[in-house]
Amino acid sequence: MRHLNDGTLRRILDEPLAMTAADQAHFDSCPECKSRFSSVANDARATATLLAVPGFDTDPTAAFSSVQARIKRDEAARPPRWYERWIDRSTPRLRPLATPAIAVLLAAVLISGVAVTGVAGQLVRVFEPSQIVAVQVSPSSIVGRNVLLDYGQITWLPAAPTAQPVADGATAHALSGLPVLMPASLPNGVSGPVTFAVVSHATGSLTFDAARLNASAAKAGVRVSPMPAAINGSTLVVSGGPALIEAWGLPGTGSQAQVPTLVIAQTRAPTVDSSGATTAQLEDYLLSQPGVPPDLAAQVKAIKDPSATLPIPIPKGLATTENIQLNGVQGLLIKSALGAGVVWVKNGVIYAVGGQLTSDQVVAIATSLH
Amino acid sequence: MLHAEAWRPTIIPAPLSAISRRLPDPFERVFLQEYPKVVAIAYRVLADRSAAEDVAQEVFLKFHRSFSPDSERASGWLHAAAAHSALNVIRGERRRAQRETTHALDRSQAPAANPEHLVEEAERRREVQRALSGLPERSAAILMLRYSGLSYAEVATALGIRVGNVGTLLRRAEEALRKEVNRATSQ
Repeated sequence: MRHLNDGTLRRILDEPLAMTAADQAHFDSCPECKSRFSSVANDARATATLLAVPGFDTDPTAAFSSVQARIKRDEAARPPRWYERWIDRSTPRLRPLATPAIAVLLAAVLISGVAVTGVAGQLVRVFEPSQIVAVQVSPSSIVGRNVLLDYGQITWLPAAPTAQPVADGATAHALSGLPVLMPASLPNGVSGPVTFAVVSHATGSLTFDAARLNASAAKAGVRVSPMPAAINGSTLVVSGGPALIEAWGLPGTGSQAQVPTLVIAQTRAPTVDSSGATTAQLEDYLLSQPGVPPDLAAQVKAIKDPSATLPIPIPKGLATTENIQLNGVQGLLIKSALGAGVVWVKNGVIYAVGGQLTSDQVVAIATSLH
Repeated sequence: MLHAEAWRPTIIPAPLSAISRRLPDPFERVFLQEYPKVVAIAYRVLADRSAAEDVAQEVFLKFHRSFSPDSERASGWLHAAAAHSALNVIRGERRRAQRETTHALDRSQAPAANPEHLVEEAERRREVQRALSGLPERSAAILMLRYSGLSYAEVATALGIRVGNVGTLLRRAEEALRKEVNRATSQ
């Protein structure tokens, strides 16, 4: 029989049971293999000495907490994906309450998910947009003031809304229940495959809690006015989505840095219901929160029917707006140096078309959707 | 104008407690199971506890970003990543690693330890690190994995080789390491 090779000899030093019976029989009767084994074992022992390190105990549980904290930080710092950025810019979106508390009211769209139990019968609809209006927002008045205040308990049912890319139009339609809209033709400069994303429907609630707000304001070093009794303890229920987003000009879902050349989006208009506070009370209160610039508050207060009007924030100096008629309703045309967009509300659905295009081009696309 | 309409949620009355109830997290399970091994592999070459823990944290973060914790390849990937990441540390930042080694030995020895012995230990460790970083990647990795206590089957999975080849590669790596160390000390 052939001699055992070095690999086999090395392994039987560590795992003697791995040796086959035939190898064992040969080894027992072969002085040469035994001699080589002794040399292999010497090298192994020398290596063990070289690689020896002092022992210590690990604490996996503490290490896990630390890794989790890193993951949370990294996720917070992650640049938003294109569809998230786009949603933030263009449509009412459900996101946590923050100062600027433009949030709540403005879009009233902020929160989602609810502890409805027990209050369902007392809810009053305070926001159901059927029209839109532009409000000028000065970017400098908001940047850097993003202190997160805790206005109360936020609950999601079933879960916070998420945007997810989907493979094709049929899937997007199946997931969102919204029709996939296509322009009659694409303008020059817009080409390539279309990418779809769907934002799930979500319902959320915010139960105002003066004690929590005061505690978080004290922690953040921010002064807040006392929460009125009518607001404290009352619950807002926000329902939003689903939304369907179609984007052109993205080479693939992996390229998140790319700005799409054309985006068509639609979402069921969000609604907000209140268990106690009225639209006027909410408006007065929220617009007086830290972080809301006075000129913005004045514009929102000037809205005649705040319960049915969706304010679209327009960065002052960076974009201009114009009311136009399209598809039988009034829409808002937004023009900027980077491109143009148009937003309109029809039959409970908010539509938006925008991209690196001229205003004529976006209007042409918006009116040709089918 | 308020629409005083009663709001009837068409929501399935899923118990809210279900949302907050802590579900078993597969990432946490993999973490708690593999963390001691991942640290041990990195520590084997770095010989510094906090440096090894840093490597382990980076390895798990990368794992979290890129893989499903349910993957069958999870353990093997983590072990291999620990070895390669620690080797990168001694290769790319050998000077820093050396400082940490001295520091680590200072802390890990009993207070009564002989200072001369500490210096010798630090010198020996530097030499081993230099030798390891001079070996082919796979040879260095197989030494780290095996001497951190992984079985032959685990080593094979981590490096994507057949278990029958582990002994041969390990034997060659040990010879190569011995030659590297001897070459350096005879210079």
